[in-house]
Amino acid sequence: MNGPLPPATREGRLLARELMATLGAAAVSCTPKDVLAASRDAWPRLALAKMAGVNRYAPDLVVWPRDVQTVASVIAFANQRRVPVVTIGGGGGANGAALAVRGGIALDLKRLAAEPVINTAARTVDVQAGFNLERLEERLQAKGATLGLLPEGAAHTSVGGFLATRGGGPSSAQLGKAEDLLLALEAVDGTGTILRTHEGPSRGLDLAQLLLGSEGTMAVFTSARLRIAPKPRTRLPLGLRVSSMSDGIRALQALLRSGLRPSLARLFDPLSARLAGVHGADRSLPGPLRGLLSSGQQELLRAALHAPWVLNGLSEAVGGGALLVLLFDGHGDRAADDAADEVAIARRICEGAGARDALAAKATLSVLQHHQSALYPQLFAAGAFVEELDVAATWARLPAVLGAVRRAVAPQALLLTRISCAYLEGAAVEVTLVGPAGSLAESAQHRRRRAKGTVREFDEELAHAELRAEQCLSSALSAAQDAGATLSYSTGVGLARQLLLPREHGEGMRQLRALKRAFDPNGILNPGKLLL
Amino acid sequence: MSVAQTSPVAPGAAQATRDALVAAGCQVVLEVSASPEDGESVAALRVQPSSAAALGRAVALLRARRVPVRVRGASDAPLGPPLGGALLDLSALDRVAAIDSTSLLARVEAGCSVGALETAARRAGCTLGPLLPSVRAGSVGAWLAGPTRGERGVPPSRRETAALSVTALLRDGRIAESRLAPRSASGPDLDHLALGGGGMLCVIASATIRLLPAADVLVAAWRLPSLAAAVETVERLCLTSSAPARARALAVEGGAVLAAAWEGPATARVDRARAVRLIAAPTATEVGDANGWVRGMSGAQSVEVDARWSDLRAWALHESSQPGAELRLLGLHAGGSFAVLTSAGTARAEDCALAAQHCGARVLWPRGLRDTGAWWEEEGAGADWKRLREALGSDDSST
Repeated sequence: MNGPLPPATREGRLLARELMATLGAAAVSCTPKDVLAASRDAWPRLALAKMAGVNRYAPDLVVWPRDVQTVASVIAFANQRRVPVVTIGGGGGANGAALAVRGGIALDLKRLAAEPVINTAARTVDVQAGFNLERLEERLQAKGATLGLLPEGAAHTSVGGFLATRGGGPSSAQLGKAEDLLLALEAVDGTGTILRTHEGPSRGLDLAQLLLGSEGTMAVFTSARLRIAPKPRTRLPLGLRVSSMSDGIRALQALLRSGLRPSLARLFDPLSARLAGVHGADRSLPGPLRGLLSSGQQELLRAALHAPWVLNGLSEAVGGGALLVLLFDGHGDRAADDAADEVAIARRICEGAGARDALAAKATLSVLQHHQSALYPQLFAAGAFVEELDVAATWARLPAVLGAVRRAVAPQALLLTRISCAYLEGAAVEVTLVGPAGSLAESAQHRRRRAKGTVREFDEELAHAELRAEQCLSSALSAAQDAGATLSYSTGVGLARQLLLPREHGEGMRQLRALKRAFDPNGILNPGKLLL
Repeated sequence: MSVAQTSPVAPGAAQATRDALVAAGCQVVLEVSASPEDGESVAALRVQPSSAAALGRAVALLRARRVPVRVRGASDAPLGPPLGGALLDLSALDRVAAIDSTSLLARVEAGCSVGALETAARRAGCTLGPLLPSVRAGSVGAWLAGPTRGERGVPPSRRETAALSVTALLRDGRIAESRLAPRSASGPDLDHLALGGGGMLCVIASATIRLLPAADVLVAAWRLPSLAAAVETVERLCLTSSAPARARALAVEGGAVLAAAWEGPATARVDRARAVRLIAAPTATEVGDANGWVRGMSGAQSVEVDARWSDLRAWALHESSQPGAELRLLGLHAGGSFAVLTSAGTARAEDCALAAQHCGARVLWPRGLRDTGAWWEEEGAGADWKRLREALGSDDSST
């Protein structure tokens, strides 16, 4: 925020006083600092509002429960008063699902994070919703177990947030996504009733699966039992150059049909591969694209952002081909040999499907250590907006999805495309869109204007930039949907994508509303999300 | 469970309902019988829609009149209409509409038998994978709406529903269909209003089913000291990437035989070799005729269960390696397996079911011995389910 923080709202002060009386002062706050901290997540579009010093998503107060009973009592209190409750996890949401659009209580679960109970014999872990995903994986690895490779934002993801947005990671096709990992769930519905499902053989309708992915609109998840797997003793990489994304897709399909199940299977388009540090130094990139990597080249990028079709043309001309990266695990006494056997089979299959030369193991691993989001700060500084989509489709529809997204967005933004996870029936695709944010991002200028008090003009610039970003994302997502993809693969819907939900579910929207009425009859849980 | 939203059809009203269903494109048989409770005449309807559109119209009509509904597919066990209600017989909706051999998917109507779908899949070089005999004998709709929700074990040791997408009929006959994608995060998975629900919240009209590539089978068999050791061994295999597609453990004089089969097109050889390495002497010795051991038939008095590994271990211990006791594991995954259990000697299926239940397994078949109780076994959600039934305008009389 630029300038002083806004004071606590009257509603916030009144509710905080009442809740403090029962929960204690340490568990409740309506101070501007705490409210601001509960107003943000990792939705890239928030970067624009942050630049503008605008906070649209402030709750009235924050509550930090330590146990499920407190969660239940706070929700029962809110239900009685018809006060909105938005649940906050690790702050890593990519779509604004945990932003308070109607004020109310921010239920921050970071203190609902008791030490997980790991049962290596039964291969389960019982963990509270506020526990951090990365820390959970550390605990598991210390006991020789794993949840699988974690998603990029795991350091800012809570277990509850992961489940509420049906999260996934690179190993999801091997070990399972949130829906596969979840064995039992404890949650509190919109009336303050505690719901518990039990792990066990199947018994008909599955309450836990119905609530999974509800993004805090139907129940607040408080703890879960998750499936864990033995930690592999060895993990061997295989990086293969392929001449195009189509060849890479063919190789992936052949690989999965063979019976191999790599713990990671990722396909980078030529520019993404180059940005991740393969195929030579960035000096060989055309000037404007070098600005993606180097802060010294930003002026060219800034100018080129106003002509995204030029950037996309340059991107298509980038040499080196696409890059297929695979990881294979080995367990037991001959782990290295077993993993090497699989690498050899995979290499033979992929080469049969058109893959070319292999990268050195070290270079392959360094590609995986590259995070696209590390580029964002300099993109924002160069006057760009960044939007991300992760969609999924069957193999038969995937080429059409990739083509449709490119056609829809190429005039508006530079596209960076990766296949992030491959299943037998289809794959997940991540696309980063980099477009011009207008004059908003020219930070020195906007700070000067703000100092002179021309806030209205500044707000218009913010609205303009947000509209561009919104239009760009919507074009990409609706093109993907029209070509047969699902709206979101593993990051949820949030504010960013909810307007496209009716296209996704059709008549199913009535089922979604029925679920909402059943589990949150007074509509207090995360109102304004999932179009509920 | 109370039937809050439904009202049995009186014989007079039933005639009007029958006429409306016929006009909607269904073949209808009206049956009138005496209520076992008070001897009053009660009507029941057997409704066979001729098309998916007719099914939609029939569902809308029956839900609007609050008639209790049951659903049956082509190959499902004989089933009558609920008292004063209607049996939706989907045996005319039995088409395998399309097989997508690029994505390994089959679009199929709910009344189609699983056996017929497997035949169509095999023709396209695919398979549904190892399934319980009762699943294979029933309809796709019964498999998906039944207690297993269409779940099965798939490589590598995962458990997932075979339904990539479900077409569900809402109370007014309109169709809700989920997207075809390997996984999704666009809100809750609405297919779970149909999967495992027995037609209670919505009726499944068709589905898109995941197929697996068909491949040659490689087998191996070992002699182990006990049935429990055989179960522990196969559980251990499921924790590595060399899990078999199916396995059979049989108590024999002085120990047990474990036979396993691998089906990965390019990986079966590697997986089998790893298993042979893992299951080594001195406790285990490889035996010949592995094919014969894998394929052996189960006894007539067997039961089908959904079980965790701890349940299967407990069952194996309970049987104490009495010759004849047998587990056929069809759909292994990291958490357990679908299995056919046969107790030793001449034990009745009822005794076998009791033993399985005692060990924590869920009995799925024979139908008469299927675990009953609440449709959902969890705490605290009674009011939520009631509100959900009200919101969806459905009944709870389906089976």
